[in-house]
Amino acid sequence: MVFTSLSFLLFYPLVVFIYFILPQKLRWGFVLLASLYFYTNIQPVFTLLLLGVSIVTYSFALFIDKSKSYKKKEILLTIGLLLVLLPLFFFKYYNFVNESIFSLLELTGLRWHLPQINWMLPIGISFYTFMAIGYIVDVYNEEIEAEKNLGLITLFLSYFPLVLSGPIERAPSMLPQFKKKMEFNYPMVVTGLQMILWGYFMKLVVADRLSVYIDPIISSIDQHSGGTIFLATLLYPMQIYCDLGGYSLIAIGAASVMGLKVRPNFNRPFFAMSVSEFWRRWHMSLISWILDYVYTPLSFMLRKYKMKGVVFTITLTLFIMGMWHGARLTFLVWAFYQGFFISLEAITKKRKSEIERRFNLTKKVWYILISIIITYIIFAFSFLTGGIRHTVSEGILAVIKMFTHFGPVYIDKTVLLYAFLGIAILLISEFRDEFYPNKFLFFNNKNVIIRWLSYFSVLLVIFIFGVFKGSNFIYFNF
Amino acid sequence: MDRSDVYEKLTGIFRKVLSNDSLEISDELTANDVENWDSLSHMLLITEVEETFSIKFRLKELNKMHNVGEMVDIIISKL
Repeated sequence: MVFTSLSFLLFYPLVVFIYFILPQKLRWGFVLLASLYFYTNIQPVFTLLLLGVSIVTYSFALFIDKSKSYKKKEILLTIGLLLVLLPLFFFKYYNFVNESIFSLLELTGLRWHLPQINWMLPIGISFYTFMAIGYIVDVYNEEIEAEKNLGLITLFLSYFPLVLSGPIERAPSMLPQFKKKMEFNYPMVVTGLQMILWGYFMKLVVADRLSVYIDPIISSIDQHSGGTIFLATLLYPMQIYCDLGGYSLIAIGAASVMGLKVRPNFNRPFFAMSVSEFWRRWHMSLISWILDYVYTPLSFMLRKYKMKGVVFTITLTLFIMGMWHGARLTFLVWAFYQGFFISLEAITKKRKSEIERRFNLTKKVWYILISIIITYIIFAFSFLTGGIRHTVSEGILAVIKMFTHFGPVYIDKTVLLYAFLGIAILLISEFRDEFYPNKFLFFNNKNVIIRWLSYFSVLLVIFIFGVFKGSNFIYFNF
Repeated sequence: MDRSDVYEKLTGIFRKVLSNDSLEISDELTANDVENWDSLSHMLLITEVEETFSIKFRLKELNKMHNVGEMVDIIISKL
């Protein structure tokens, strides 16, 4: 039951309705049951794994909280984290380690293999594992007290709007919300519904339409001209943004209707003027998680090496982030690609800001535009490292083709026209939010007629131009 | 060393690391208020502070520094 399925459109309103007519005391328990039902509906067996991780997380946080000595807390933290990470490693990295280590052994003449296991990845595992780790570390750092109610920890990890693809939330912000009175909050319901509507627009009108054009091209790079690949490469960030961004908005909106505030995942990434700024606007819940639980501890340990330490930490952090997406060489290359640009910016930052100040560049339209375009292109080309779509060498082939066989560009007029219409609406709306916040409002206009006209127009655009073939979300693969 | 001495030294460090000669710091100032104060320069700031005051922070303390005021409190507690 994914957000774009018909069954979710029945499930969600029903859950919200029952939720609000139930007495306060029973509400969190009901959401927990609904969440477990939601997850079981997608992957029955792996609900047990989710419950297992919840129990381990719950117990170790309590153990850490209760133990007196610093040393003992540290040992418990280590064991707890290892146990929580174990399923993730098993499902995500087992085959990778198996294949790569044993193919190395084969070089030395040893022929010994562990059996291949081709289970599917438990959906959402990378997301809820990170939330579990965050909670255990927060308890260790005394940011919050260990929760005494196992049900609330299970709800935190399995809460249905977030369980499949985040945003990766934190216990200090979610647990108190589950505990307090869950009231019907009219402004939050309205904002939530607006987000859900906009999320469906991004996913069904833009992402799924673009995928009709992009996916076949990227999966057979050798059969397309350089120019076609170039266009697909430039469009792909828009597809993936509207896929995960749309998903996130539906998730955050679904929580908001129930009176729960969830952290944002994107902040108009395509208006970033540098790669490092881009990463503060893109998949923010993942980035801030990595910053707090990986980057900060690492760079703190290496702080005496100053700039060298910083560059090393950035690269290592990005490596871990790449590996989080999957154990593939492509993600490793991707990490080095991003690491290169972010490090370059870190090293040249002082000089750059001096020049910007001297010529007052950050106020000049042409400078803003060029910075935005360059940042976008750097990001777009990072996907040619392959990800889950193709190999690194195919990506290199694609770049070579762009320069040697640009050739005619394949244009599917209807698909691209529909997609560009969606992109235009999206970008104009984001342009307004970026440069003219609180002006030219549609969803939040004071005039009730304009408000409802805009809701209906977006709904109409979704029905006319949306793609309804029950597609999945890209981030379910992670 | 009292609070104003710490502030004086700290202002110098902030101006140098964040390359902003006119930066004024106050208790309520956070990283969000200052251009260039991001996760990269933050760790360089921490290192400079440690060297200038000859102190060593712990990671836990780092997580508790939500604004300049809290940073000053922790520095003073270590002097």
